[in-house]
Amino acid sequence: MSGCVPLLDEVLKQPTVGRPHFDSAESTWLAQLRQSERAVLAREGLPDRHNEAWKYTSLRALAQQRFAIGDREAGQRPVSETELHLPGIDGPRIVFVHGVFRADLSSLQEMPAGLEVTTLGQALSTGAASLRSWMQRPIADGAAAFERINLVMATDGVSLQVQAGFHIEAPVHLLYLGSETDTQLAWHARARIELGAGAELSLVEHYAGSSRSEQFATVVSDIRVHEDARLQLIQIQHAAEATTLVRHERFRLASRARVGMHTIEMGGVLVRHEIETLLEGEGAIFDTCGLFVPQGRQHVDIRLDIRHQARDTRSNATWRGIADQRGHGVFHGGIVIERGADGADARLHNKNLLLSDQAEIDTQPVLEIYADEVQAAHGATVGQINEQALFYLRSRGLPLAAARRLLMVAFCREILEGISPPSLREYLAERLTQHLPLSIKG
Amino acid sequence: MSDESATGIPIKPALSGVVNEAIDRRYGAGFVTDIETDRLPPGLSEEIIRAISARKQEPAWMTEWRLQAYRHWLQMAMPNWAKLSVAPIDLQSISYYAAPKQQPKSLDEVDPKLLETFDKLGVPLHERARLAGVAVDAVFDSVSVGTTFRKELAEAGVIFCSMSEAIREHPELVRKYLGTVVPVGDNYFAALNSAVFSDGSFVFIPQGVRCPMELSTYFRINAGHTGQFERTMIIAEEGAHVSYLEGCTAPMRDENQLHAAVVELVVMERAEIKYSTVQNWYPGDEEGRGGIYNFVTKRGDCRGDDSKLTWTQVETGSAITWKYPSCILRGNRSIGEFYSVALTHHRQQADTGTKMIHLGKQTKSKIVSKGISAGRSSNSYRGLVKVEKGAQGARNHTQCDSLLIGKQCGAHTFPYIEVKNPTATIEHEATTSKISDEQMFYCRSRGIGEEDAVSLIVDGFCRQVFRELPMEFAVEAKKLLEVSLEGAVG
Repeated sequence: MSGCVPLLDEVLKQPTVGRPHFDSAESTWLAQLRQSERAVLAREGLPDRHNEAWKYTSLRALAQQRFAIGDREAGQRPVSETELHLPGIDGPRIVFVHGVFRADLSSLQEMPAGLEVTTLGQALSTGAASLRSWMQRPIADGAAAFERINLVMATDGVSLQVQAGFHIEAPVHLLYLGSETDTQLAWHARARIELGAGAELSLVEHYAGSSRSEQFATVVSDIRVHEDARLQLIQIQHAAEATTLVRHERFRLASRARVGMHTIEMGGVLVRHEIETLLEGEGAIFDTCGLFVPQGRQHVDIRLDIRHQARDTRSNATWRGIADQRGHGVFHGGIVIERGADGADARLHNKNLLLSDQAEIDTQPVLEIYADEVQAAHGATVGQINEQALFYLRSRGLPLAAARRLLMVAFCREILEGISPPSLREYLAERLTQHLPLSIKG
Repeated sequence: MSDESATGIPIKPALSGVVNEAIDRRYGAGFVTDIETDRLPPGLSEEIIRAISARKQEPAWMTEWRLQAYRHWLQMAMPNWAKLSVAPIDLQSISYYAAPKQQPKSLDEVDPKLLETFDKLGVPLHERARLAGVAVDAVFDSVSVGTTFRKELAEAGVIFCSMSEAIREHPELVRKYLGTVVPVGDNYFAALNSAVFSDGSFVFIPQGVRCPMELSTYFRINAGHTGQFERTMIIAEEGAHVSYLEGCTAPMRDENQLHAAVVELVVMERAEIKYSTVQNWYPGDEEGRGGIYNFVTKRGDCRGDDSKLTWTQVETGSAITWKYPSCILRGNRSIGEFYSVALTHHRQQADTGTKMIHLGKQTKSKIVSKGISAGRSSNSYRGLVKVEKGAQGARNHTQCDSLLIGKQCGAHTFPYIEVKNPTATIEHEATTSKISDEQMFYCRSRGIGEEDAVSLIVDGFCRQVFRELPMEFAVEAKKLLEVSLEGAVG
């Protein structure tokens, strides 16, 4: 596919975009980088179904759409108070509306010691040397069109740094909000999270929105966890119903670093979430639990790429999917154990429920192993709700639809288990219950 | 054609028995026979195809079918998506037809030199075959030499002959089924095969007949620069049963030899086909030089209700193995099974697996894949379990296990699971391990030598698959694995 599709047309014809505070800090190298990435985009276009990494996800409809780039009124869009809070999450809050930082909605006054929060624009203007290297992050060939789009178009973003040895007690809330607009809108943001040696952070990354108009958003995040540091990450994706959201996260774990992740994908109409993890240091541990529940006409495509590069590293991926009505769930769980990564322990399980004639599940657990002293196992299943359990509930007076929904929520419970605080866990269970349809017919 | 020297056993000075044995165990079938062969000049064109068809005295419809396939092939490009590193193949430098000049009319007229070859390979057509009650269709290079026990099979109504003969004697049958399971345009190598296929087996089991004996075919590639392009078809009519064995061997060569076969199986209502393969093509030397490229398209169509197809394979040879014996589960309650042991050593590469396509209702599939990687080899399982919308109540269980021997090899799994029906139950699991130090210590502390211990453990690892092989093959398979793994641990 060449670059001449409407979506890319809009991307390619924009002059270097951005809000004033960002543009003014933009140095020559970023402009040159964006220029060269623009050229690659024009040449390669968007991936089509022949690209193996996009085999089950069609971009044809998206490619034909035009979106206004950026929201000039992002700084003024009204946001209700309720949208800003999550039960049990009372630490610093960083809010973006349509990819633009909103100081007025954020809560950064009482910053815990050891935590530094800056926005991308601010960071560039101080010209911190390290920023250059992560803005210029390596982009793999092949299916990286959206990483390139994000690099070319990102208007803002957040940099979160925890100094070595500091434990941040209160969970930090990073919120990307979409708001009601009368036009089709696109926004792009970047994030950079870094935990110094021995640091600890709890972060809730939250996507929410109420707009009924179509939106297209990309978020690219780089997360570096240094030796002995620990990151607890909860991702709540509840974007607006007509949103196309593409996220790419790259995690780099140093020796004995530990990342525990819980991901709940509920919103959006086309969702692509790529999680790339490099276990670079000995003894690093990466746990990811996730849930995707495409309903209606939702299409959710999850792609894990976990690479064991050092000795005695561990990974554990437990993901569950429920596809109902005309939902389409795609899961690719890739584990690579490179030569020399002996002592690796890698596990991956993907269990799915397929609940209607029009729904579809495609799952691919992949193992590439180049070392021999490893333990690696994976499993994947696709099935339906247990008949006996359903009968049990109905025989106790629960109507079929309610019984069905109860069992679907029970299926999700294992993923919610590790989420704390309990008030957040119950809130998520409640949102999930509302999201899962009550009707049986698709 | 004697530019090749026979590689016999070299004259050895007096050495201990053990060492002698180890030297002798080098690839036993690595030798060539000096015999006149009739070859076409290298290259591929419509003229060559017409020449092949003419030499085989084929009817016009067959020639035309080949030409259509060739024209299709010209539009296609060689695929490169597998986890294989394949040196470019110059398809214009291969000769597409080589047959021994002397063509016997019956087994008694077979060239004694040919029979000697078969003796060396361990297939004495007369005696051992008769004792074992196995009918053997021996293919020497591109032409079938003779078929044993044709009379006995004919009494049962079973047709078991070469493809060339089937095209002449049973054209209506061939025409009815040819290309219906693997269409000409299915993939690059199937198209090539359809254009230039030389020979293969044709088996037809009529309604209600249980084939009285296990059928077997024996292949050999002899002259250099010839590709083997077999085409095999097995048709089992309603209620028919047949078990078919395929075992291959080839001589040592320096240039790679291409083997692009196509096997089409048709299973009708309540019929059953069991297709077993022991593949021992020359795998290349320790540095990966030479060796056969085994790019095969094998597919079975379970057309009738309650039909069953079982693929069993033990793959130890070839420099590169690229094949996915598959089942289309069309009939209601049809069953597809795939049992595989794939072993790679030195610099071999394998990308193999299966495709189970569930179309009918209440269909079942079972996949057991055991991969063993040693040396600097690369062994990938690639499989597809697809449940289409109308496939009510489909069931699948897949078990892929990999055994890694050594630190330089790779073992990979690429399963694709695509489900469009909510009443399906699909289960997939995979594990990877090595021969643990505890297991080795246990064996050695009981006086079992290192190599024997490895054989023992590998045998246990592959047990589930070996159980499915016909007994003679199971014995040969075990021996084959032992020989193939020598030098792997240490």
